[in-house]
Amino acid sequence: MSRDILAVDNVNVHFGGIKALNEVSFNIQEGELLALIGPNGAGKTTLLSAISNPGLAQTGSISFRGEDITRLPTHRVNRKGIARTFQAGEVVRSLSVRENVMAGGVASSELGWLSALAHLKKSRAILDELSDKADELLRLVGLHEQAGMLAGVLSAGQQRLLAIARAMATDASLLLLDEPGAGLNEVEKRHLARVIQSISQSGKTILFIEHDMDLVSSVARRLMVLDRGHLIADGRPEDVREDPAVVTAYLGVSGQSDKKRSGRSGFHPVSGINARKFLAIQDLSAAYNGVPALNQISLEVQDGEIVALVGANGAGKSTLLKSISKIVQPLASKLDFQGQDLRLLAADAVVQRGVSLVPEGRELFAAMTVLDNLLLGRQPQFSQDAWWRQLLSGRSKDPKLVQRLDFVYGLFPILRERRHQLAGTLSGGQAQMLAIGRALMAEPRLLMLDEPSLGIAPQIVADIMKALVELREQGVTILLVEQNARAALEIADRGYVLASGQIMTCGDAMTLLNDADILQAYLGGGDFNAAEAPRIRLAS
Amino acid sequence: MKRYLSMAVVLAAVCLSGSDYLINLAVIVGLYSLPALGLALLWGYTGQISLGHAAFYGLGAYGSALLSMRLGISPWLSILLAMAMVGVICKGIGWLVFRLHGHLLAMATLGMGIIVHIGLVEMHWLTGGPNGLTGVPPLSFFGWELISSTQVLPFIWLVCLAALYCSENLIRSGMGLAIRTVGESEMAAASLGVNVPGLKQAILVLSGLFAAASGALYAHYIGYLSPGPFDVGFSIKLLLMVAIGGFAQIWGVVFGVLFVTILGELLKPLGGYDIVVFGALLVCVILYCPNGLLQLAMRMPFKKTLAARGGES
Repeated sequence: MSRDILAVDNVNVHFGGIKALNEVSFNIQEGELLALIGPNGAGKTTLLSAISNPGLAQTGSISFRGEDITRLPTHRVNRKGIARTFQAGEVVRSLSVRENVMAGGVASSELGWLSALAHLKKSRAILDELSDKADELLRLVGLHEQAGMLAGVLSAGQQRLLAIARAMATDASLLLLDEPGAGLNEVEKRHLARVIQSISQSGKTILFIEHDMDLVSSVARRLMVLDRGHLIADGRPEDVREDPAVVTAYLGVSGQSDKKRSGRSGFHPVSGINARKFLAIQDLSAAYNGVPALNQISLEVQDGEIVALVGANGAGKSTLLKSISKIVQPLASKLDFQGQDLRLLAADAVVQRGVSLVPEGRELFAAMTVLDNLLLGRQPQFSQDAWWRQLLSGRSKDPKLVQRLDFVYGLFPILRERRHQLAGTLSGGQAQMLAIGRALMAEPRLLMLDEPSLGIAPQIVADIMKALVELREQGVTILLVEQNARAALEIADRGYVLASGQIMTCGDAMTLLNDADILQAYLGGGDFNAAEAPRIRLAS
Repeated sequence: MKRYLSMAVVLAAVCLSGSDYLINLAVIVGLYSLPALGLALLWGYTGQISLGHAAFYGLGAYGSALLSMRLGISPWLSILLAMAMVGVICKGIGWLVFRLHGHLLAMATLGMGIIVHIGLVEMHWLTGGPNGLTGVPPLSFFGWELISSTQVLPFIWLVCLAALYCSENLIRSGMGLAIRTVGESEMAAASLGVNVPGLKQAILVLSGLFAAASGALYAHYIGYLSPGPFDVGFSIKLLLMVAIGGFAQIWGVVFGVLFVTILGELLKPLGGYDIVVFGALLVCVILYCPNGLLQLAMRMPFKKTLAARGGES
C-alpha cells in the first residue's frame, strides 16, 4: 500500500441531474501504466478532471502520495506532481512548439517578477534551462524537428503529442492523458504507443483514456472500465475484455426486456421501384480542421424506416448526423431529402424542410421551463407568422400548437406533469424525453437522434425506444445513432456499422444484431481469440 | 537595442527641429504609449479586457497632483505614491474579479471608469469639479523646473522606453510564456501549475502602474487637470491603439498610439463626433485585421518569409 501514488476514494461528481461519477474508488501504484476505457459519456474525462481539479468532486477524497489533495486548486495539484492533457490538445497556437513545452516548466522554475521585467541573469538562465529541457522532451515524443514551428500548424495528433511533452515539462510524476490517440491513423498510433511506453519506462506513472482496444491492449498492463459513472471493471486487459459486464456496457442491454417486437410485424417497408428514397447520401466526407471524420459515406433511408447507426466512439456517427442537419459542412456528391438538395441549405432551413436533430447531450435550455423548451421547438411554424404580428399580439398564430403539444405529452406523459418545472432540474431520462419532444414540436418527417441512451438508466432507455417505435407508426422516419447497439438494432429495420469514418457493414437489423463484426467494431479484434468470441456474445 | 537607439535618434531629431507641433506630438505619443502598453499586456497577451484604463490614468493624474499640492511633497515622490495607490486598487479589483470566470473584468473596469469620472466631476472640494484643478506643480530636476515640452520630453520618453524594455523582457521570459498560455487557454495553464488568478492579478497591477505613471507625468507636465480627458471615451481610444498596434505586439503599441493621435488631429473638425469614427475603426480592426494595421501592411513580405522558411525545412 505504501507504493500507492494516487488513491481515489468514493468520489461523486454530479452535473445538474446527471451523475457523472458515482462512488468511484481505485488506487494507482508508482510506475503503473494503465488505461481507462468506457462508452461515450461514461465519465472518463470527468474522472481525469476530478483528479486534476479535485474541487469538482462533491464528495469523496483524493490523495496523492498519501497527502490529501481534495481541497487544492488545479495549479497546486500540478505542483504536487500531477499533470494532465486535454482531448483538444489546448496548445498555445501562437507560440512555437518549443515555447509551448517551455511554458510547461515555468511554474516550477521559481522565476520572479523583478527578474523577468529587468531581464536579470536568472531570467536568462531559466530560459536556457527550459529550452534545453524542452528539446529533450520534444525528442522523446518525436517532435524535435518541428520545434521551431508555430504550434498552430501542427496536426491534431501532433498537438496532443506536444501537450504530452508540455505536461512532462512540469516535472509531474503522474500523467493523465485524455484520448491522446483520437483521430490518429495506424502509423501515428503505433508511434504514440511507443512514446507512451518510453515515458513509462522513464519512471512516470501514466493513466490514459483510449478507445482503440488494440492500442490499449498492446500498451497498458491494467485496464479500468467506466460505465455511466460506475467503475465496472479493473484488471488485466485480456480479463477485462471477457468480462460480461464490459461487453454489456459497450453493446448495451436489450431495450425491450420481454423481446416482444410490438408493431414490428405490421410494418412493411416499401421496396422495389415504389420505394421512395427519403434521404439519399452519396460520397459524403467531413473533416474537423483538416482531420478527416467521415470518408466517402453513402447511405440511404426510406420513408417510414428506423435506421440505426452504430459503431465505437470516434467512428463518425455524430458527425454524420451533424452533416445531414448542416451543423457541420460536409463535401458530398449527393445529399437529398425528399428530392430536395440539402447541400446549399443552412442549418435552420434544413429544420424547415422537416429534418430535426436531437443532439448528443440534449442541449436543453436549463433556465427555461419544460413548456418553454417545447415551444422553442415550434420555431419553424411560428416563423411563418409575420414577426410584427407576433410582436403586436404577443403570441404566434399557430392553430395546431395545442394539438402538437398534446401529441408530445401523449408520447411522454411525464412532460405534461413537469411542464412548469425548469428543464435544468429534470433527471437525465426526463431531459432526454424533453429533447426528443422539442424536436418533435417542429413536426419533422425525419427525426435524427444522437445517443438518446447516453447516461440513462436501462429502464428509461426501454421507454424511450418504445416511444420511437410508436413514432414510426405515426409516420416519422427515424435515423438513430446509438452506442447501445443492442437496444438500437432491436427496434430498427436496418442498420449501418461505422468504423473510422467509413461504413463497415450494413443490412437488416436482426442480422446485424447477431453479427460478430459489431463486437469487433467496438472492442477491436487484433489479437482477440476468435474461438472465444461466440462464447462472450452468448454470455450476455 | 537597435529599436531603442533609433527611437532616441528620432526623438533627438524632433527636439532639434524646434517645431512645437512635432515636440508636443512626441510628448503626447510618449504619454499615451504607457497606458496603451499596459493594456496590450493585459488584453493582447493575457486575454483580459479592461474598459476602464482611463480611470487608472485619471487616478494617477489627480492622485499625484493632489498629493504634491496638499502635502507639498516633491512631484517625483507623489508620482510614486499615486502609482502605489492605483496598484493597490488594481490588486483589489483583481482579487474580486478573477476568482470568477467570464468577462467580468470588462464589466468591473467599465463601472470603475464611470465611478471615477463621476467622482472627479462631483467632488468639488477635492478635485475642483468640472472647473478642474489648477496650479499643479511642475517636475523639477536638480532645481531646474521642467515646464516646456522640450524639457519634459526626455523624461517622459525615458519612462516610456523603460516600460517598453521591461515589457519586452517580461514577454520574452518564462513568465511571458505562462502569460500567453493563460491568454489562450486558462484550463491548460492551470493544469501546468500556473496560478491563473494570481498571474492575471499581477498583470492588471502592472498595467495599472503604467497607466498611473503616465497620468501623473501628464498632470505635472500640463499643470492643469479637468475630468474631461479621463472619461470612458479615452478608455475606448486606448483599446483602439492596442488593436491597431496588433494586440500582442510591444512596439506595435507605439505605432497604434501614433496612428490614433494623428487621426485624432485630422478628425478635429468633427468635434465630439470623432468618437464615432474611432468606434467604427475599432470594430473594423478587430474584424478584419486581427494582427493590427501594421501587419496588414506588411502581409505580403511576411507571406514570402513564411514560404521561404517552409522551403528550407
